[in-house]
Amino acid sequence: MSPLSSGKKGSRHLFMGNEAIARGALEAGVRVVAGYPGTPASEIIENLAKIAKEGSRKLYVEWSVNEKVALEVASAASFAGLPTMAVMKQPGLNVAADYLLHLSGSGVRGPMVLVSADDPGALSSVNEGETRYYAKLMEIPLLEPGDFQEAKDMTTWAFKLSDTIKNVVLLRTVTRLSHASGTVVLGEIPENGSNAFFKHDGFILDPNEGAILSPPVEYKHTEQQRKLKIAEALFEDSPFNTYTGPEKPELLIITSSICSLYSKEAVSILGVRDRVGILKLGTTWPLPPKRLLKHLSSCDHIFIVEEVLPFLEDEVKILAAEHGKTLGAKFFYGKKEGYLPMVGEMNPDKVAAALSRILAMPQPGMDDVYKKRATEISFAGSPHREATFCPGCPHRASFWTLNTALSMDNRNGFVCGDIGCYSMAVLPAGFSTLKTLHAMGSGTGVASGFGKLGGFGMSQPVLSVCGDSTFFHSAIPPLVNAIHHHSNMTLVVLDNSGTAMTGFQPHPGLEKDAMGNVAEKIDIPEVCRALGAEVRVCDPFDVSESRQVLLDLMDRDGVKVLVLKQSCALSPEKKSLKKYTMSVDQSLCAGENCGCNRLCTRIFACPGLIWDKENNRSRIDEVVCAGCGVCSSICPKGAIMKKEAV
Amino acid sequence: MPELTLKHDPYNLIITGVGGQGNVMTSRAVGNMLSLLGFHVTIGETFGASQRGGSVMSHVRISKDSSWSPQIPSGHAHMVVSMEPSETIRVLKDFGNRDVKVITNTRPFYPVGVISGQISYPSDDDIRTWISELTSKAWFLNATEKAVAIGDPILGNVIMAGALAGTGELPLDREVFHTIMASRFSGDILQKNLDAYAFGVESVLSRKI
Amino acid sequence: MRILGSSELCEDVQKKDLCVDCGACAGLCPYFVSHKGKIARLFPCTLPQGRCHAFCPKTEIDLNHVSETIVGKSYDGSPLGHMRAIWKTRAGRLMQGKGAFQNGGTASSLLVAAMASGLIDAAALTRRKGLIPEPFLATSTDQILSCAGSKYMASPTLASVHEYSREKGQKLAVVGTPCQMTALGLIRMNPLGREDFHDPVALSMGLFCTWALDTRRLIRLIENRVNLQDIQSMDVPPPPSQVMTIRTCDQNLAIPLDEIRTAIPAGCSICPDMTAEFTDLSVGALEGDPSWNTLIVRTEKGESLVEEAVRQGYLERDAMRPEHLEHLRKGASAKKKRAFIMARDKHLLNTDPAKGPSALIIKEDLVKKLLGEEGSCLH
Repeated sequence: MSPLSSGKKGSRHLFMGNEAIARGALEAGVRVVAGYPGTPASEIIENLAKIAKEGSRKLYVEWSVNEKVALEVASAASFAGLPTMAVMKQPGLNVAADYLLHLSGSGVRGPMVLVSADDPGALSSVNEGETRYYAKLMEIPLLEPGDFQEAKDMTTWAFKLSDTIKNVVLLRTVTRLSHASGTVVLGEIPENGSNAFFKHDGFILDPNEGAILSPPVEYKHTEQQRKLKIAEALFEDSPFNTYTGPEKPELLIITSSICSLYSKEAVSILGVRDRVGILKLGTTWPLPPKRLLKHLSSCDHIFIVEEVLPFLEDEVKILAAEHGKTLGAKFFYGKKEGYLPMVGEMNPDKVAAALSRILAMPQPGMDDVYKKRATEISFAGSPHREATFCPGCPHRASFWTLNTALSMDNRNGFVCGDIGCYSMAVLPAGFSTLKTLHAMGSGTGVASGFGKLGGFGMSQPVLSVCGDSTFFHSAIPPLVNAIHHHSNMTLVVLDNSGTAMTGFQPHPGLEKDAMGNVAEKIDIPEVCRALGAEVRVCDPFDVSESRQVLLDLMDRDGVKVLVLKQSCALSPEKKSLKKYTMSVDQSLCAGENCGCNRLCTRIFACPGLIWDKENNRSRIDEVVCAGCGVCSSICPKGAIMKKEAV
Repeated sequence: MPELTLKHDPYNLIITGVGGQGNVMTSRAVGNMLSLLGFHVTIGETFGASQRGGSVMSHVRISKDSSWSPQIPSGHAHMVVSMEPSETIRVLKDFGNRDVKVITNTRPFYPVGVISGQISYPSDDDIRTWISELTSKAWFLNATEKAVAIGDPILGNVIMAGALAGTGELPLDREVFHTIMASRFSGDILQKNLDAYAFGVESVLSRKI
Repeated sequence: MRILGSSELCEDVQKKDLCVDCGACAGLCPYFVSHKGKIARLFPCTLPQGRCHAFCPKTEIDLNHVSETIVGKSYDGSPLGHMRAIWKTRAGRLMQGKGAFQNGGTASSLLVAAMASGLIDAAALTRRKGLIPEPFLATSTDQILSCAGSKYMASPTLASVHEYSREKGQKLAVVGTPCQMTALGLIRMNPLGREDFHDPVALSMGLFCTWALDTRRLIRLIENRVNLQDIQSMDVPPPPSQVMTIRTCDQNLAIPLDEIRTAIPAGCSICPDMTAEFTDLSVGALEGDPSWNTLIVRTEKGESLVEEAVRQGYLERDAMRPEHLEHLRKGASAKKKRAFIMARDKHLLNTDPAKGPSALIIKEDLVKKLLGEEGSCLH
């Protein structure tokens, strides 16, 4: 059993931020948790699913088909009186937002927390979307843990708050907290609680026993705002809002989330603890006005540290303006004043640089001579390392097929991309095959639109790709749309049997659920056929067959679906198992000569196949090669040999 | 138990390599060992698609009394443990200083740009010279080769963790490593991990590297 | 004749719509492939010089150089090229009932004779899959006969020459259009001086050609009128008919030539060669009598094959009527003139290297002579 569920009250553990959030939910007695995988949020549900699987406590955890459904599933438990949590990465909150608007209007019964994880700097995303504005938009309270202990404690408290105000509470985390680890002292996990029962027979406006709905809107909206006022009042005394520094600082830093640790570090680097105070806010919507006014009146120079957009900055400025008469003029140093960038993630260096500028101190940083020399050396010494598909990844083979088929077809066809590891096919790793890349499922929606432009003279073949998990998440509606409207397009489903990018979470196409129970498997080709698409299934490792099938499909009108099915190289059943032992017959390898020009290492560029400069020939790197065998089928000379591994 | 001390507080350790080499595992193991010894450990790392085959770094911060930023400020590393030689240099460029120490695996993992011939990879001699120039002490060992000999290239991480213990920079010992590993593995796998760790410690202590 | 790389080939030939899908660049490497009548480059190749460029009949072709190397005589612009003899011929008694020939069956008969005599062991031919022609390496009489019939479309026939060559064979017959025969000449010249080169060709046989059609454009023209899979044969009857006929099992379709001509690739419009001048033998239709062919004998090797085939009964021959020969000369001469004028207008004839590549290089005074422009000034 993991310390996450068995750790005793008072014991200390090194927990990842996401583990701390999971533990916090357990300590709040959470019963139902639903979400959709997405970096950096995935480990919250993964860990809770493991605990549910252990079976020692009543807990239901699911990977829902998408975030909107996850929020709906979780809310049902709340309606039946249970503590419940929905978990997603920020773009998923956009998907769930429609329901959230109505849910926050109707209110909840059992305590309900919505965890949304932002990815400032887009470390593992194609955007750096913000959760915090949703709190304001949806008129629900927002909590932001600033370290690992708080990640646990605030999660637990978020349930309490929800129980008090009977509405959803939003908890925002960021990559650098979710994926970082730190010391956490545990609390108590309560015994199993009450049974689920949905009371619905009462008077329609009765919040405890009536129907749950957002109308009558004026009445419910007023209620919602009243709840928010209660939260605001509780925030005034919240222990999650802390101040460290002198009573009358020269400069007041107002910060939240992981930026509070960057601020602490910056103050420490510059050695200005006696001059600069740090007000770390854990309750960032609604802001506690009294608490803030108290600090604003202690200092006229305010430096706001946050990521990504100036959310806190704007709200603090509004508050200062509203109380301008008593507070007097304030000097702000934030994103709008150009002290910190309005894009990307923060780090101690950026905060320290801004702080030194505000305090008119020399900028801290690396020794100039050392930095110069190290930079010189790194120029030759650390060649750029572009992200690529893993050795043995089916996507490399799939995009080889897509790219060469489009070239052979020779009509300037293109592929609309989608979200997954395969998004990397915008890069040379995937032969730069993807030409649009937006939200989950958008590739097929965009392709559905492109496929209707024939009437305007467009004759280019239109393809889209999506992964198996993405297919269920949000590619079905656009596929239905394309079929219904006789669009001309080919959807290529890159089915690698799991939500691979985020760590092999199950999805409706698989036979088991998050907790390892047997689940109903929904067959992707069957679904597509039932919708009316022409469907073919191929193994992407059979490059020539896949390509021929794709070429045939592209030649035909209407909506076609090609499912390229092959498990991810990192999937548990494949990991460190080589199907083939690969070798290069260097006497056959043409190397850099006309007739080859290093197709394998120059273009295909699997990390498992390297260029042996001394012999001017290709060579297998046995440590890296995953033994998928695909390179042997692309070698024009038949020099790459594969042998069934024993 | 005698009072354990740190050479710096926070002590800033960077563990680096290439996605898929098992960095997260190493930083977790080292972090767990130090946490078990009573230190406040903060580990900053990122993972996901952008790290596939790309450079990865874990920032481990060890303190007697509090959590620190999961990102080490530039130029503030005390020790860099690197699974890949060119990654060592990349880390030093941003986090190195005259006093920094380094343990580096000498087995290259070629970037796709090198494989595709657009850029070239530095020679072993150059790498050693440069790393030595940028550090106050550097240890070089072919952990991958030894790990393959023990049975799995992924054990290179454990060898590097052992080497780190061997330097005496941090209060790591075999006992606590055994405790951590025994909580996850048993039998042959546990033994291979212990062998790999011992090899790492011995490589540094015997001053062969 | 400058030899460059694949990027120049794409730039100077494909992007200018000069590619006729002859197949000379296909099958040499993984980068160039032919698909549905069009050559595609799958990925960029960085070599400064490649066989793809060297073998292409639409990159800078010095006609004199090719003629001297292949025929052993300088290029003089004569309408039908250098020849030893010209006959009207048709399948002989040994070939009766063996195949459905387009005209007299001369090409098939000569190939069968060549294979029977041991001169060749394979023939690089073109067969049709539905409408789409594809290369076929025939290694038996039956296979040769299965390829009989005109295609009117470019096909990457030369790709199978490379395939044969890889197996180190040296007794291949190649049958193709004039552009393909030019490319075959270039292949046999080993322009990159490769040490591993050997000449795989034992017999080259050209087919008369006024133009060929771009497969995809032709499909677009006819796909709504006929089921492509059902096409059995196609023909362009001699003037004054002015149509192309397409025959399926249950229908005979006639498409006006004006419509058909829209499917001719630009590459054909600068081709000065109607009768495949750089070959051992060239075969075409005979004016006024579809049951015979015209056969031009250009080399000693071609001559001895014809003599032997006639002697054994594979081929029947007769003298060609002078007025037919004169008509043929006129047609070929007109094609040459049209091609030189078009090439010059497109800045593809003897272009100043500083201003871009030529497609054709011919001595300036010869151009003037052929175009009847002696004394005038070429711009």
